[in-house]
Amino acid sequence: MTDIREHVLKIKHISVIFDGFKALTDVDINVKRNSIHFFIGPNGAGKTTLLDIICARTKPTSGTVHYYPLGRNAVRLTGMKEYQIVNEGIGRKFQVPSVFTALTVMENMVLSLKGHKRVWESLFYKLSDKDEMAIMEVLRKVGLADRADVRAGSLAHGEKQWLEIAMQLVQKPEIIMLDEPAAGMGKPETFRTGELLKEIKKDCTVIVVEHDMDFVKQIADTVTVLHEGKVLMEGAVDEVLADQTVQAVYLGRGGERYAGN
Amino acid sequence: MRRLKGNHICFTVIAVMLACSPFLVGSSSMVQFLGKCMCYSIVAIALDLIWGYTGMLSLGHGIYFCLGGYAMAMYLRLRDNGGALTDFMQTGGLTKLPFFWKPFLSFPLAMLLVILVPGVLAAVIGYFVFRSRIKGVYFSIITQALTWAAYSLFIANSKYTGGNNGITDFTSVFGSTRGVANRGHLTAMFFVALAALVLVYLLASWLVNSKFGKLLIAIRDGENRTFFSGYCVNQYKNFIYTLSAVLAGIGGALFVNFNGSITPSQMTIAYSITMVVWVAVGGRGTVIGAVIGAFFINLCEYNLSSGALAGIWQYIVGAIFGVTILFFKGGIVGIVKEQIPALFARLQSAPAAEKEKKEAA
Repeated sequence: MTDIREHVLKIKHISVIFDGFKALTDVDINVKRNSIHFFIGPNGAGKTTLLDIICARTKPTSGTVHYYPLGRNAVRLTGMKEYQIVNEGIGRKFQVPSVFTALTVMENMVLSLKGHKRVWESLFYKLSDKDEMAIMEVLRKVGLADRADVRAGSLAHGEKQWLEIAMQLVQKPEIIMLDEPAAGMGKPETFRTGELLKEIKKDCTVIVVEHDMDFVKQIADTVTVLHEGKVLMEGAVDEVLADQTVQAVYLGRGGERYAGN
Repeated sequence: MRRLKGNHICFTVIAVMLACSPFLVGSSSMVQFLGKCMCYSIVAIALDLIWGYTGMLSLGHGIYFCLGGYAMAMYLRLRDNGGALTDFMQTGGLTKLPFFWKPFLSFPLAMLLVILVPGVLAAVIGYFVFRSRIKGVYFSIITQALTWAAYSLFIANSKYTGGNNGITDFTSVFGSTRGVANRGHLTAMFFVALAALVLVYLLASWLVNSKFGKLLIAIRDGENRTFFSGYCVNQYKNFIYTLSAVLAGIGGALFVNFNGSITPSQMTIAYSITMVVWVAVGGRGTVIGAVIGAFFINLCEYNLSSGALAGIWQYIVGAIFGVTILFFKGGIVGIVKEQIPALFARLQSAPAAEKEKKEAA
């Protein structure tokens, strides 16, 4: 049972069939604690579907996902509701930055704080000094501390992405899942996001879906390559990128641009 | 914070003007009309909470308004009858008071039912609708269909409900002559409605500025994100929908006291959509906007529906609604707070830019 401590998430025999289309077939993945784990693969490989399975946005046709929080019993995520999974300590950032545009950065963060999620609690909620400090600390980490009172809708694209990451961090998750966090970002912004994720890794596990290979090389600990709904290969970043089959299905074809057409 | 204050000052001015009006306005029918407007404002606030803030467009709030109204009217009718059968029950061939009329023999119980009947119905409907994650236009269609069903039910069961004629012909809640003929009691009722409006305004303002209120906006702007921030969105939606129904019911109960009758026509889809027009024109997403819209549209109607424009006033109101939706999404409040300041800013910057040009030349 030593691997219970080592792994934070175990995906077992997951298959998903949408109207006869096999989105995922018998996927087995273990995610190590405090690592940055990438899911890569061409379009339609099932990366986002896999994230959807973990956070219960999609129900698997078969298979289970178990989560091993520190100091608590294992939790079977399959069959739970999405908001329950969030409250267990698994955060999710979407591909399109989704922040609450009409609210300020601070208000976005307050809504994301851990706890006080029930109707009655939120009616009589008052922000404590401790929580406010925790929020400011996270905002400093992502570089938005001086924009706390700005409406989230008026932030730049990259800032919205960081805000959404900050909204995950303030919940103190054990796992944070990011769907293309660097999408639409320039090189310097992408690099900064990478450094931010390395910082985050100290406190939690990071699962990332991403296409940008420089970004993968910059920060990945483990890479799982998905292809047509199956795990093609898994390993350290250099090992995976050097593999002939991986190059053939994904990298050698000009990556996403080719597959997208 | 400054924005907030402006809203409250505006409401205070409206409330003070209303408080003075029974003493300044000579015509009793005008006082009665302003009383009705306050009831409409309460419904508008109720609708704004779920539409303007939470983004769920209910096209069937007439049903809750009417249920509150019927509860009040049933009490008044029974009290005037001394608990005997009403005329429509006798016509319908009933020999005993139906069981669901009996609670309305008692005033406290009737007042409780003004709140409970709309509240429980909304909570049950909300439970099923939100659990199935029905939203957007589908939510609007369902609320509309339910209203239509309720309307048909009230028309078809005339021996229990008074059918098309509804419940009418009763004295005031004080047991005296009702309406314009009794100015003293009309004024008293006016202040009851004003107090209710102030309370509802304060409740709504407190609510939308709490964390709960921010969450309603969050649901409106990113329901998915709200789920993944760890909130059970269904419960929040059901809570605000139920509260909104209760407020609409209170508005309806007060309305009966000014109108002197309640009929299924206040339950129709057309009437429910009129309520949406009030909120849209006033400015959805602000509590004050709902109040302003309810007064503005009804004052238009009051002044236009008689006289030269009687034939076309509905087109005028329709045009106001259309123009609002197309050009002034924030309604009257939006015009005052955003469009006019923006216009001033442009006017001020235009000569400055011209001057710069000249200087450059």
